[in-house]
Amino acid sequence: MIKIDHLTKRYGKTLAVDDLDFEVRPGVVTGFLGPNGSGKSTTMRIILGLDHPTKGSATIEGKRYGELRDPLHEVGALLDAKAIHPGRSARNHLRALAASNRIPFSRVDEVLEFSGIGSVADKKVGDYSLGMSQRLGIAGALLGDPGVLLFDEPVNGLDPEGIRWIREFFRSLANEGRTVFVSSHLMSEMAVSADQIIVIGRGKFITQGSVDALTASAKGTVFVRGANHPQLLAVLRSHHGVVNEVNDEGLSVSDLTSEQIGQIAFDAGIALYELTPQRASLEEVYMDLTADAVEYGSTGSRHE
Amino acid sequence: MSSDVTLGSTIRSEWIKFRTVRSTIMGVVITFVLTIGLGALITTAVRAHWHSMDPVRRLTFDPVSASLSGILFAQFAVGVIGTLFITSEYSSGSIRTTLAAIPNRLELVWGKLVVLVASMFVVTEIACFITFMMGQAIFSGVVPTASLSSGAVLRTVILAGVYLTLLSVLGFSLGLILRQSAACISVFTSLLLILPIIVFLLPQSWQNDISKYEPSELGHAMTSVTAQSNDFGSWTALVILSIYVAVVLGVGTTMLIRRDA
Repeated sequence: MIKIDHLTKRYGKTLAVDDLDFEVRPGVVTGFLGPNGSGKSTTMRIILGLDHPTKGSATIEGKRYGELRDPLHEVGALLDAKAIHPGRSARNHLRALAASNRIPFSRVDEVLEFSGIGSVADKKVGDYSLGMSQRLGIAGALLGDPGVLLFDEPVNGLDPEGIRWIREFFRSLANEGRTVFVSSHLMSEMAVSADQIIVIGRGKFITQGSVDALTASAKGTVFVRGANHPQLLAVLRSHHGVVNEVNDEGLSVSDLTSEQIGQIAFDAGIALYELTPQRASLEEVYMDLTADAVEYGSTGSRHE
Repeated sequence: MSSDVTLGSTIRSEWIKFRTVRSTIMGVVITFVLTIGLGALITTAVRAHWHSMDPVRRLTFDPVSASLSGILFAQFAVGVIGTLFITSEYSSGSIRTTLAAIPNRLELVWGKLVVLVASMFVVTEIACFITFMMGQAIFSGVVPTASLSSGAVLRTVILAGVYLTLLSVLGFSLGLILRQSAACISVFTSLLLILPIIVFLLPQSWQNDISKYEPSELGHAMTSVTAQSNDFGSWTALVILSIYVAVVLGVGTTMLIRRDA
């Protein structure tokens, strides 16, 4: 289990992480979702003891990363797939990593095969595609057979086959009772690969829940097309309906059900040509949740 | 249960990293070529012009430092090896993987230091002994030669390797502070080449007091058989240079521990 306890990180004037407080439990895949620059990578770096928190803490099974006796046996991480010396072969990279935690070299061969890069293990990493580098990063994370795994944007650069492979792989890790924490800026990806989702924006916690619960909480809208749009607009507003959008095609209304809208239009004597409830997609929920975060995100997103 | 991450495992890991990149191999080859190749060139030139040389210079001629003159060039190669050992981790971003595997940053510095010092000491001593013996062989019959049976000569050849090893640690220490290869190499070169020029522009009386503290002048003192005027003795020079390097290393290590990776 990973516990983030009132974590705050400031880089100069930029508040990258603002009082985050949540837990990542074992046995499920937890998605860590937020726009670029929202503090996901910073949070992951702090979990790994790479950056020092300004306030609060991040602990793994109750211990800060620096206190772990055998870090690679306890936590496996893939932060940036391209962050490997380009002149070294994948095998030598993994061997150096293995040696640091007294992991036998036979395990290096195992994770290379598992990740599907066994045949190119002696090639220089600099010649790898992003997808191959991601697989190497995953091999490195698995090296110590850890109970907690962190992946920062792991699907970037993977081909469709690789994405399918990685989803099933996350699922199987979670089924083995491990803690799997995966960041992404794509809701669509998290919707299919994660069980639980934690959403942040501008360093702040926004919401947390299962994929289903998040979708259910989404406000639906109703698309209305009728005889007299200006009149329809006025009458819907007088009934506390929120009209999000008006154009020649029709109106997009929220806070009223299609039944209510039909009745209101009938009472006002306006003929309706179309009345369509529209369920928000998870993507829209996410856009809605993080709208503020994106709006301000571009000013200080140097530390993603 | 005791930790799997110890100084021993850190050394083993860093040794794998050190020897599996081309820059190290190239650096070692260049160190050999510069030390031995330039040593051969210069000793051959001295032999050819020995009889036309100024008699005073012939009397004060030091066959040991002449045969070791290639280290003036090799010092930059070893500085680059030391620098890249840490800055390549920053330029590639692999420092994060390294620190995730070895969270104790002090231990990481010790591990890297042991690998760097041990390997550079072996490499530079071999290069210095080869160039010394080759130089004496080239001189023999024409120019007076030196022998390792003399304690002062043996000391000088050994200290030449020690000087180069210390400079590789200086490059490494600058790397810890600056993190960027280009910045480190600029500073390193400035310390060895530009500093003496600046001191040269100072009044003569100051020069005599200051110049002997320059890293390159300390190197000169360490690699001369007889003490030079205005220079420290070779052992004193070794101590002073070691203090410089230790201070820069200490600052670099503190910065590594305090800063975000």
